[in-house]
Amino acid sequence: MPRPGFVLEVDKSTPPILFWRGENFSLEKLPAGRSRVIYAPEPLPAIEDVDGAIRHALLNPIEQDPLPEQLFPGMKLTIAFDDVSLPLPKMQRPDIRQRVIEAVLDMAADAGVDDVHIISALALHRRMTEAELRHAVGDRVYDAFAPRGTLYQHDAEDPDNLSYLGTTPHGEDVEINKRAAESDLLVYVNINLVAMDGGWKSTATGLSSYKSLRHHHNPETMIHSRSFMDQHRSELHKSNWRMGKVLLDSGVKVFQIETTLNTDTFPSPFGFLAKREWEWKPSDRMTFLASTKALNRTPTRLARKIFHSIEAPHQMTSVQAGDVEAVHRITTEHVYKQQLVEVKGQTDILTLGIPYISPYNVHSILNPILVMCMGLGYYFNMYKGMPLVREGGVIIMTHPMQPDFHPVHHPSYIDFFEQVLADTTDPKVMSEKWEKQYAEDEWYKHLYRTTYAYHGVHPFYMWYWGSHALQHCSRIIIVGGDPKTVRRLGFVPASTMDDALEIASDVVGRAPTITHLHAPPLMVADVS
Amino acid sequence: MKALKISRKTAKFAVARLMSPVSTIGAAKFGPLSLVNESAPTMPNAEGWHRIQPRLTGICGSDLSLVEGHASTYFDDWVSFPFVPGHEVVADCDDGRRVVLEPVLGHACRGLPLPFEGAAPGDGDDYAHLVGGHLAPGIQTGFCTSTGGGWATELIAHDSQLHEVPDNMSDEQAVLVEPAAGGIHAALATWPAVQAAIQRGETPIVAVLGAGSMGLCAIAGLRRYVPQVRIIVGARYPHQQAFARSLGADIVVPAAELARAVRRESGGHIVGDYLSGGCHATIDAVGSSDSIMDCLKFTRPRGRVVLLGMPAVVSLDLTGLWHRETALVGAYTYGTESMPDGSKRHTFDLAIEAAADCQLNRLVSATYRLDDYQNALAHAAGAGRRGAVKIVFDLRASDARHKKETN
Amino acid sequence: MARDDAPWKPSNLAKAARIGELVERITHPIAKRTYRKGFPYLPPTIPLGVAVPEDEPTLGADYDTKWARKSPAKFVRKGLVNGPIRIAIKGLASPKLYGVDRLHDLAQMKDPPPLIFTPNHHSHLDTAVMAVAVPEPWRSKLVVAAAADYFFDKRWKATMAALALNAIPIDREVTGRKSSDMIKELIEDGWSLMIYPEGGRSPDGWGQDFKGGAAYLSGRTGAAVVPVFIDGTGALFGKGMKRPKFGTTKVVFGAPMRALEDENTRRFSARIEEAVTELGDESLTDFWTARQRSARKESTKLTGPEYTGWRRQWALSERREMGTAGLRRRQKRRWPDIGN
Repeated sequence: MPRPGFVLEVDKSTPPILFWRGENFSLEKLPAGRSRVIYAPEPLPAIEDVDGAIRHALLNPIEQDPLPEQLFPGMKLTIAFDDVSLPLPKMQRPDIRQRVIEAVLDMAADAGVDDVHIISALALHRRMTEAELRHAVGDRVYDAFAPRGTLYQHDAEDPDNLSYLGTTPHGEDVEINKRAAESDLLVYVNINLVAMDGGWKSTATGLSSYKSLRHHHNPETMIHSRSFMDQHRSELHKSNWRMGKVLLDSGVKVFQIETTLNTDTFPSPFGFLAKREWEWKPSDRMTFLASTKALNRTPTRLARKIFHSIEAPHQMTSVQAGDVEAVHRITTEHVYKQQLVEVKGQTDILTLGIPYISPYNVHSILNPILVMCMGLGYYFNMYKGMPLVREGGVIIMTHPMQPDFHPVHHPSYIDFFEQVLADTTDPKVMSEKWEKQYAEDEWYKHLYRTTYAYHGVHPFYMWYWGSHALQHCSRIIIVGGDPKTVRRLGFVPASTMDDALEIASDVVGRAPTITHLHAPPLMVADVS
Repeated sequence: MKALKISRKTAKFAVARLMSPVSTIGAAKFGPLSLVNESAPTMPNAEGWHRIQPRLTGICGSDLSLVEGHASTYFDDWVSFPFVPGHEVVADCDDGRRVVLEPVLGHACRGLPLPFEGAAPGDGDDYAHLVGGHLAPGIQTGFCTSTGGGWATELIAHDSQLHEVPDNMSDEQAVLVEPAAGGIHAALATWPAVQAAIQRGETPIVAVLGAGSMGLCAIAGLRRYVPQVRIIVGARYPHQQAFARSLGADIVVPAAELARAVRRESGGHIVGDYLSGGCHATIDAVGSSDSIMDCLKFTRPRGRVVLLGMPAVVSLDLTGLWHRETALVGAYTYGTESMPDGSKRHTFDLAIEAAADCQLNRLVSATYRLDDYQNALAHAAGAGRRGAVKIVFDLRASDARHKKETN
Repeated sequence: MARDDAPWKPSNLAKAARIGELVERITHPIAKRTYRKGFPYLPPTIPLGVAVPEDEPTLGADYDTKWARKSPAKFVRKGLVNGPIRIAIKGLASPKLYGVDRLHDLAQMKDPPPLIFTPNHHSHLDTAVMAVAVPEPWRSKLVVAAAADYFFDKRWKATMAALALNAIPIDREVTGRKSSDMIKELIEDGWSLMIYPEGGRSPDGWGQDFKGGAAYLSGRTGAAVVPVFIDGTGALFGKGMKRPKFGTTKVVFGAPMRALEDENTRRFSARIEEAVTELGDESLTDFWTARQRSARKESTKLTGPEYTGWRRQWALSERREMGTAGLRRRQKRRWPDIGN
C-alpha cells in the first residue's frame, strides 16, 4: 500500500536531509524544533494492462462518440503529442505516447483513414532530434511516417502554416497550427506530469504562436496565477480556457487523450533518493556515499551525460479520452490523488534543492536562468491555497549555478544573461524594454526553425514563470552557486546553508521557521 | 644626467624574455635596461635644436615589450643602440616654454627636405629618412642613440617636434597628448568604412577591443572626431569599463562578450565562430593573435580592422579575411589627418585639444621616481589587473634638474 | 623445391605427412594397448547362434532430450548461444530486431508466462537467429521444435541439436500425440516454444501454408502465440545452397495473441498466418502501410502470387529487392567518406 505524503517536524533525532544540487546531492541538517520537511506520497500502483486500458478509453470516451465512430475514410486526421519536455525524466520504452498513438492508428487503419499527420506540439520549445522522436513515438510510427513527411514538428514561425481563429472576449489572439485547425479531427495525446498540463493548454499553447502566447505568458498573468497547479485560481489557465472556447466555436474538433503517471521517478539502485532518510538501508547509504564521492570527482560534462541518460520507471496510472474539459477534470483528480500533501500554515523560509533537470533542458545544461525557473517558477508554485513561504519570506536554493549555457539549445539565453539581466531583473521592465527585440530577432527565429534551439523569447518566459515568487519573497539566496552569476540574477550568494540562514536573519530573524520541499519526486502542497 | 638605458646585449634580451611572464621586476633587473649616470646627448650641428628636461614621461606598451624582450626583430634596423627609451614626454624647454614632445624623428629634424608643404614629422611614404640625415637611425626619440629619451633627466629635441602646452593644461593632461594622438589617428583610420556606411544610410558601428590607455584614447578620438558613430567597447576590467563609458562609448561589455554584443547591435547571425555581418570597423587595441582573430570574426565583410596595438609575430588563419574581403590596416603614430569634414589637421593639435577637453589626466594612475623604475615597469605591465591605466615617471623633483630661470 | 607458381605444392603434402607421422607415433601405442584389452574398452563381439534383441528406437521422434534441459547442458548451451553462436550470427547475418517492445509488458511481469514463437521458415539459419533474437526472459528458457526426420535421424546430429539449440523432435506432417504431450508438459514447466508453422524450409523462396500445430498447442496449454517474421535468411542460406553468404537480416516480433472465445484451431491458425503476413508487410514497407493493407485485406500473401514457372521466380526477386537482402546493395556508399 503506497503511503500518502506527510510533513515531518524536524527534531534533534532527525537525520540530515537530502538536498539536490544540480548534478550532485548533499545532506543538510535542518534546525530542530522549527523546521519541517514535506515528503511526497509514494508512487501509486500502475495499471496492469496498459494497452487494454488505452483501448477501453478510446472506445468509451467521456461526452464524445467512441473514436472508431469519429473516423471515416477520406478524412483529415491529425494527431498531436506532447514534446520532449515531458515526462521527466524520460520514460523507459515503450513511451505512453507510442502506445496511445499506435492504438489510435490501429483504429484509423481499420476505418480506412489515409490522410494522417502526426505533429509534435512544442509551441516555442526546441525541435526534437530524431532519437528523441523515436523514443517518444516508437520506431514503428517514426519509420512509417517521418520519411513521408507526415510526422513533423510544429513551427510557430511559419506564417503559411498558422491559422488565425479570432480573439477571446478579453482581446486575446487565438492562432494555431493550420493543419490542426483544418483537420476533421484533432487527437491530442497528452501526458499529465503535473496539474498544470493538459486541458485546453495542450492545444491552445502547444500548437500556437507568439501572437497567442504573449497574452498569457507575461508577468501580469503569472503574478496572478496562484498557482499554476490550481487551475481555478490560475490566470494562465483562465486565458487558455477562453482560447479553448474560441477554438471550439471556430469548429476545431478535439479528441483529448490524457494520461497520468505515478511518481516512481528513480530506477533502482537510486530509489533511495525518494525515500525518507531514516528508512535508508545500509545499501542505500553506501550507494549515496559512493555516488557523491564519485560525482565530486567527475567532470560536469560527464556527470550531465550520466544523469540525462537515466530512464525513470514511472508507469501510467490512468487514461481518459474525449471532451477536453470533462477529461481534464478527471485527470486533475488523478494527479492530485498521487501528488497532494496536506500542509498546515506557512513558514518564514522555503528551502529547495534544485536537481539537474527541468522541462527545458532535456539532454542539455541547466543554465542559471533555468535554475531560477525551476526553483521560483515550478517548485515555488507547487501549492494549492497559499504558497509554502509567507509573504516577505526568504527562499534558499542549493545549486552550483555555473554560467554554463548550451550554445545550440539555448542561444538566446546567453544574450539574455549578458544583456537583459545586466540591465534589469524586474520582469515587468524587461517585458516592456527587451522582449520585443528578442521575439523578433531574425537569427533566433532561424535557429528555432532549422536547428534545435528554443525560441528567442523563451528565456523571458522562464523569468516570468518566477514573477510571483520574485514579488512575494523579499530575498532569494543561492547556496553553492558562482557568486558573480548569482548576483547578476539579483540573488544573494552563500557558501553553506548556515551562511545562508545567517544572511537571511536580517529579514526573518534569528530563529525562522523553515520548510524543505523534498522534491523530486513531484508533489503539490495543499496549504491551509 | 640620470637615465635608463637599453643596451644591445642579446643575452640580456633573452633573460628578460624568459623572466617577463613570471616577474617584470626580474626582467627589468636582469634585462637590457639599466640606470646610468652619464653626460647628456650632444646637440647636432644644426639649427632649431633645444635641450629639454622632462617633467613627466609615460610608459608605453611598446617600451614594455622592448624591456621584456618581446619586441619583434623588425625594429632592429630602425633603432640605434644604446638608447634611452621614453617618448611620451612633457618637458621644460631651454627657451622657457613648457612643451610636449612629438617623438617621430621626421625629415625636418634630420635636415632632409619635407615630403610636402606643412608636413608633420610622421608624414611621408618613404621611410628612408628614418635612418638617414644627421642623426643616427631611429624611428622616434626614445629609440635613437643621438637624441636621448624621456626616461632621463635631459634630452634634445628639434623645433618640429615641440608643441607648446597651454597654461591651463596640467602636466598630467599633457603627458597623455602623445598616446591620445595615436588613438585619434587610429580612430580616423576607421573613417573610410564609417563613411561608406553613412552613404548607404546605415548607422556606422565601430567596435574597440581592449581598453588600456591606447584603446581609451581611441574611444575618445572616435567620439570627438568621427561623426554619427556608435561605439561598442570590449574591456576586461571594471575600471577600464568605467573609463570607456565616461569617454563616450555607447555600449561597454566584458571583452569575452564583445562578439555577441556586436551581433546584438548590428543584427545578422552567428555561423560557427564568425558573425554573418558585424560592425563596420574595429580597432584592435591589444595586438595578439587572439585579439586580431576576434576582430576579424565580428567585422563585417568588406569592413576594416585597424591594428592599433603593436603586434609581434602572430599566427592567424586568414581564410576568413580573404573570404570576407576585410581590410586589415596598421595605425602607427600620427601625422597629418584628412578629417571627415575634408579639412587637414595635424594629429598632435587634435590631441592637445582632446587631452584637455576629455580630461585625459584621469588616466594617469600612478607616478614613480626614475630610481624606482623596476616597480614602475612592473606596475605598467600589470596595469589592468591592478586597476591602473597609465603609469608615468615623475621627474619634476629630480636633483639633476636645472632650476628654471625666470626672467 | 617447387616454384611459387607451380600448380601444386609438394612442400605442404610433405608437411602434412610429417605431422601425420608424429601423431601416429604418439597415439599408436595407446591405441594398440586398448585394442589388446578389448571388451569392455571396445564394443563386444556377438557370438554365433544367439538372438540379439532389437534396440528400443531412440532416434527420430523418440529421442529423449531431457538431459539437454538439465544443469551441465544448460550451462554449456548458455555459453554457446551467448558466445560463438551469437558472434557467428552477428557476423554472418547482422540481424536487426524490431517490435521487441511489443513484449515489454510481459517481460516486466513478476512471473513472465511462457510464449510460443511462430516464425516463417526459409533457412537453417532461422533457428540460430531466433536463439539470438528472442529477448530475455524467454531466451534462456526456449525450446525449439525441430523436424525429427532431419535433425534426429543420426545420433551425433541429435546430440548437437539438443545441446546447442535445445531442440525437441517433432513430426513434420502431423503433430503426434507423444510430441504434443511432451510439449504441453514443457510449457507448463515454464519453457517457451519455438515452432515453424510452415513445417519445413521454403523450397522456392515463397512461404508455404501454415499448419495448425502452433494453434493447437496454444489452445491446449493457454500459452500466447507470438508471430515473428524473419526476413533475409533465405537469401543467405536458403534451401539447396551449399555455403552461407554474408548479409543482413531483419526479425520483426508481433504482439502476443490468443485464440478468441469460440475460435477453433483452424481459424486461429489462419489468424496467426495473417499476423505473420502483416509483419512481413511491416518488414518490407512500414507499420502504417502494413496495418492499412491488413485492414483492407490487401496484404501480400506470404505464399506468393498464383503464377507458375518463371513469373513466380521473377515476382520473388522483386520482393527480395525490397527486403533486407537488397538493402545491402542499395546502401553501398558511392562517395568516399571524408568525415564531415
